[in-house]
Amino acid sequence: MDGKEVVINITHLSKVFIRDRRRIIALDDFGLEVREGEFVCLLGPSGCGKTTVLRIVAGLEAKSGGSAKVEGKEVRDAGPDRGMVFQEFALFPWRTVRKNIEFGLEVKHVPETDRADVSKKLIEFVGLKGFEDAHPRELSGGMKQRVAIARALANDPKVLLMDEPFGSLDAQTRNLMQKELLRIWSARRKTVLFVTHSVEEAVYLADRIVVMTARPGKVREIIDVPLSRPRDRTSREFITIRSKVLGELEEEFEKARAGELSPE
Amino acid sequence: MEKKLIIIAVVIAAIVVVGGISAALLLGKESKTTGTVKYITIAPKDMKAALAGGTIDAYIAWEPYVSDSVVGNVGDVLEWSDQIMPNHPCCVVAVSPDFLNGPNGVNLTERFLKAHIEANKWMADALAHPSGANYTALVNMAVQFTSRNATVVKAALEHVKYGYEMNQDFRNALKQFTDMYIDANMTTAAKLQDRGYSSTTDFISKYVNGSLLDAARSVTPSSTILNPSNPIRLGYLLGDLHQLAQVVAQNTTAFGGTSMFQKYGLLVTNATGAPFASGGTEMSLGFAAGAVDIGYLGAPPAILNHMNSGVKALIIAQANSEGSGLVVKANSGIHNLEDLVNKTVATPGESSIQFLLLRIALDREGLDLKIKT
Amino acid sequence: MRSLTKSLSKVFISNWLRLTLSAVSLTVFLTLWWLFSAYLRADWPFQGVTPSPSTADYIPYWWDVLRAVGRSFVTRPQNTGGLLMSEHILASLKRISIAFVLALLSAVPLGLLMGRSRNAEALGRPLVELFRPIPPLAWVPIFLVIFKFFWGPIAIVFLGIFFPILLNVILGARSVDPVLIDAARTLGARRGTIFGKVVFPFTTPYLMTGITVGLGIGWMCIVAAEMLGAVGGGVGYYIFAANNTSQYELMYAGMVVIGMLSVLTTGIAGLIERWLYRWMGKK
Repeated sequence: MDGKEVVINITHLSKVFIRDRRRIIALDDFGLEVREGEFVCLLGPSGCGKTTVLRIVAGLEAKSGGSAKVEGKEVRDAGPDRGMVFQEFALFPWRTVRKNIEFGLEVKHVPETDRADVSKKLIEFVGLKGFEDAHPRELSGGMKQRVAIARALANDPKVLLMDEPFGSLDAQTRNLMQKELLRIWSARRKTVLFVTHSVEEAVYLADRIVVMTARPGKVREIIDVPLSRPRDRTSREFITIRSKVLGELEEEFEKARAGELSPE
Repeated sequence: MEKKLIIIAVVIAAIVVVGGISAALLLGKESKTTGTVKYITIAPKDMKAALAGGTIDAYIAWEPYVSDSVVGNVGDVLEWSDQIMPNHPCCVVAVSPDFLNGPNGVNLTERFLKAHIEANKWMADALAHPSGANYTALVNMAVQFTSRNATVVKAALEHVKYGYEMNQDFRNALKQFTDMYIDANMTTAAKLQDRGYSSTTDFISKYVNGSLLDAARSVTPSSTILNPSNPIRLGYLLGDLHQLAQVVAQNTTAFGGTSMFQKYGLLVTNATGAPFASGGTEMSLGFAAGAVDIGYLGAPPAILNHMNSGVKALIIAQANSEGSGLVVKANSGIHNLEDLVNKTVATPGESSIQFLLLRIALDREGLDLKIKT
Repeated sequence: MRSLTKSLSKVFISNWLRLTLSAVSLTVFLTLWWLFSAYLRADWPFQGVTPSPSTADYIPYWWDVLRAVGRSFVTRPQNTGGLLMSEHILASLKRISIAFVLALLSAVPLGLLMGRSRNAEALGRPLVELFRPIPPLAWVPIFLVIFKFFWGPIAIVFLGIFFPILLNVILGARSVDPVLIDAARTLGARRGTIFGKVVFPFTTPYLMTGITVGLGIGWMCIVAAEMLGAVGGGVGYYIFAANNTSQYELMYAGMVVIGMLSVLTTGIAGLIERWLYRWMGKK
């Protein structure tokens, strides 16, 4: 690749946890490099550990082995240099839109006027003007996720980690939000690691798609998506890539199902 | 969000502080009067510890709670109650009119009083011969009844005057108490009229009944129990040494297996709720509730609660006089009542005889008694 | 416009209905009270029945009680410390306020800690379970000797308020949605900040429940707290003293005052609660 700096560098990552006194290997020898400004999607059957990879990079979960580095530094704890967006939105229900977005700045003790400047710009940027003082309960799912994205951006992180952020939205809102995300991404030039289980979403969004194997999760295949944006979901190239990814994935789905059925 | 929380906290704190200060100022004003002694209400059983711990400077209580501190070197007696008011009435025997007017009520009451007289005579004799076996027996009974050791009990017994007679001084004192209660707004002259008395003199002449005691003098022993299925339900206070006569009259072991009550043909049992914690509760839970037929209690609750609520406990004999004491902390430098100014004295409550005695003593010195603020 | 007036009148009617219902229950209560008092005295409409004077003393007519409430603000009976009711109210409010602030300052941090840390919970739980069921009345003589007159009664009321707040805060802190904490961590918040900015706000509605319940229990403890050694009187002391001398009208007067004070403090707590809820977007 074109000499851009490697922002996320994961090597031999493994994660083992105990559930019901059984040792479960969630990740085994997972490796991935993500370069600056890249949009990478993690795709895989459910339970393959894609969310675990994201949470380890975020610093929310400890790894069992291997290494996960962000900007050359081993991840030890969560930090504002890696913004995260959750499927459940995770907005603070007692805070208004503006105060949700300013949370990270408050933590950093940024003066109030500077905070207001940042949040005002971000609210406009994500299209929430007029809802500054609304509470999360008054917003639709799509609007909530806009707030969550703006909140993550307020810290101006190098990396944006997104854990199935549009998973609970209806199809129409979902398409709209994907477009919005690409607009935000291209404007802000963030490095994005995006977990999804939707093949179409991955092909629509990503520069590269990492297809993971069924548990224990590792990289099965990395597929480049060399299409220019905005992408046309009905174009032949799009469909071709989608079929390829789908094929890779289906084998893993079969394996996952067989794993569930087997006595092990 | 956090700012608002801080504001709330500050507002709450401000309200508390301002309220506290204004309350302190408002209440504090009164405490600046010179010549005022402060009082506080505590259960007598806790007074010794409060005195030892420095929470209070003095207390007034009945025996054995006076001697308890003296023997333990915690306190010194500033004044015995007989110094405040010689021969002052204290505990009395009272009867419920329902019982008195019930089947055989007068007969049973007279027999009860006869046993009371005999117990008093026996006690007087025992106390007059401290080397005798009866004295030892009496001390043992008192030790069991009060849960205090023999040293404390012996010291306490020296200051209680047991006696059953009700003379004119006794009646005058009760009238004086009643007048003081009306003055102090603890009851009213209107209540006196409500109960059907024209004056405090009229009240005492009707409420204190000496005829039963007179008739009791000629009662003779009975070989059979008159009330085998309806025992007299007796009320008394917890560990009150003033009420020792009923302990003696119930005792069988010191009297060849037959108690004085049995000797006069009586079956006596503890009333439900007895022993009571105070005279006030004996009046409301015992007499008013119809649970007590005959009871030992302080004269003040027998009078005051009758005035206020109509419950009747006719006074038919004295149980003791004197036997209370004003105790100050040992080596505290308090040598007279004036030294108590701005100090805190604990009393068993405003409706107790001890509170009245304290008021009388301080009145005499021109000192005020006010609740501690 | 039309729909606005319509909805306004709807609100008015529903409030009016509720007010009427409250008035009805109060009226029924006062009527039953009156009938019972009249029955015991064989007054109208019960002229025929045998009166029970000794029980009647315990159940005065309610208007006599209200009169006694009024009188208590202008007379100074010695057996209630020679103090006016206003002074008793001030003394009790002072006790409740101090106990409340102390309970809040201690129960909230302890509750947050025990709700969020299993070790803190293991450390605190046995003591909480040991002391929680003990009626504050049982502590009266001990507290009086240990904490003396000023703090003794406050300590008793404190116990009454402390445990409801503590238990509710523990429950609230335990129920914090873990994804909110994850979110706060990825936004740069550390442990202390998470407590202040996530766990505490999340717990606030639970805290308010604890406060409302606690204040109610606090008032229930006031009689026990002021029974002995209460400095400067208090409404509980007033009730106890009136009972001691069989002045039942005064005793009920004290009860009515405590009831009103409790309604007042609970009302204030309720207002704060509603305001907090709206402001936190939870209403």
